[in-house]
Amino acid sequence: MRDVTSRDTPMLTAESVLSFTHVHKSFKSTTALSDVSLEVPRGTIVGLVGRNGCGKTTLLHHVTGLMLPTSGTCTTFGVSTNALGAREHARMGVVHQHAKLLGWMRVEQLLQYIATFYESWDVSLSQQLTDRLQLSRDGKVAELSPGNVQKLSLVLALSHRPELLLLDEPLSDLDPTARQDVLAILLEYFSARECTIVISSHLLHDIEPMVNRIICLEQGRVTANADLDTLKESYAEWIVTTRGTPLPLSWSEPGIVRAQGDASQARLIVRGELATRESLRVSMASRYDIDIESRALNLERLFPVLTGDRTTPPERAHAIR
Amino acid sequence: MLILIDANHGVPAYRQIVDQLRFQIASGRLPAGTELPSTRALAQQLGINPMTVSKAYGLLEAEGLLRHRPGLALTVAPQSVAQVEEEREARLRAALEPAALAARQLGLSKTRAVALFRQLLSETPVAEENADA
Repeated sequence: MRDVTSRDTPMLTAESVLSFTHVHKSFKSTTALSDVSLEVPRGTIVGLVGRNGCGKTTLLHHVTGLMLPTSGTCTTFGVSTNALGAREHARMGVVHQHAKLLGWMRVEQLLQYIATFYESWDVSLSQQLTDRLQLSRDGKVAELSPGNVQKLSLVLALSHRPELLLLDEPLSDLDPTARQDVLAILLEYFSARECTIVISSHLLHDIEPMVNRIICLEQGRVTANADLDTLKESYAEWIVTTRGTPLPLSWSEPGIVRAQGDASQARLIVRGELATRESLRVSMASRYDIDIESRALNLERLFPVLTGDRTTPPERAHAIR
Repeated sequence: MLILIDANHGVPAYRQIVDQLRFQIASGRLPAGTELPSTRALAQQLGINPMTVSKAYGLLEAEGLLRHRPGLALTVAPQSVAQVEEEREARLRAALEPAALAARQLGLSKTRAVALFRQLLSETPVAEENADA
């Protein structure tokens, strides 16, 4: 019960663990990141989302310095990523999307070998993690299933107790039970110390309970960078039903970002704070002969809205898909 | 105390916790002085980010529904009768709004809708029966 008092010393401070300023990255004629500026404060769990090829992995590579920006600046722990040294790397834990591990070693050997690179390696934590994930230490790394490779990558990323965890699709090869185990482990790890986690995933249902910030990329641009709660509270789905008079063919009210339906019923996606939406609801109820039922949108249902165009002319509502 | 949330719902998890605690306090199921689980314990139980729980607790504390004294567990604050009554009405109103909309859309008369509500109030609801009725 005593840790209730920890609310007096909030985990979130102003200090940024990683920061991007006007970052551009191109590969020959392809633009991978376009004018990306963002800050991730310590004590945040960021869900990095977006469609395939939107730049999530490229963005993560820029945090570790594996890639350097074509223009703009990246800093991690306040150090420019072109000057990151062993000290900074020891504070990071990374799970790569397609981990290439030393296949000829046994799991136990690989753990011992990687441990030698870190002063802070915690043998008992690594033992606990392999036990909880039911990962045998005897098997040969090359013979592990894709799911077990992912589990091992996580153990390798966590056992030196990093302050910053960068996880690129860490759940994609796991079965639902293993995914829940991994998420529970991450939440426990996060709760026990002041750390920062950036997790990229398409499994929005799995990450939704744990993340508190969403960064959404679309074609290398940031289309959303917001608190998850704020995001959910900034949109609503309205089911509009006529009380008799046919509904208009198009909706021109400001804030309506998507619309579909017919003369008797329509589904609108409305953007704006609750108070703004309430006044729109009142003005529409007086203009049209309608009932409006408002529903909240979860991350999965917000996703198409967040990855769509950033402009909001109402005509787009009909043009899209 | 039982809090159940759906972290995949469009209503943010902190909001669901706030609403459920307000309901339980208004219904008297959580009397003044009841100790709440720690932020970390509730977060772990619900499988959510601990910051979500502290946000919910912080809001309820600001509203005067919970009381936090340094070094002690968070407890339910004593409520005035007027406060409780207002909260009860607010909760019921929220539950009735969709029903009123359905009654209108179904074209049910006000008299008939009110009669139905009155009937439901005097019935002892049995979940299984209601589900198939």
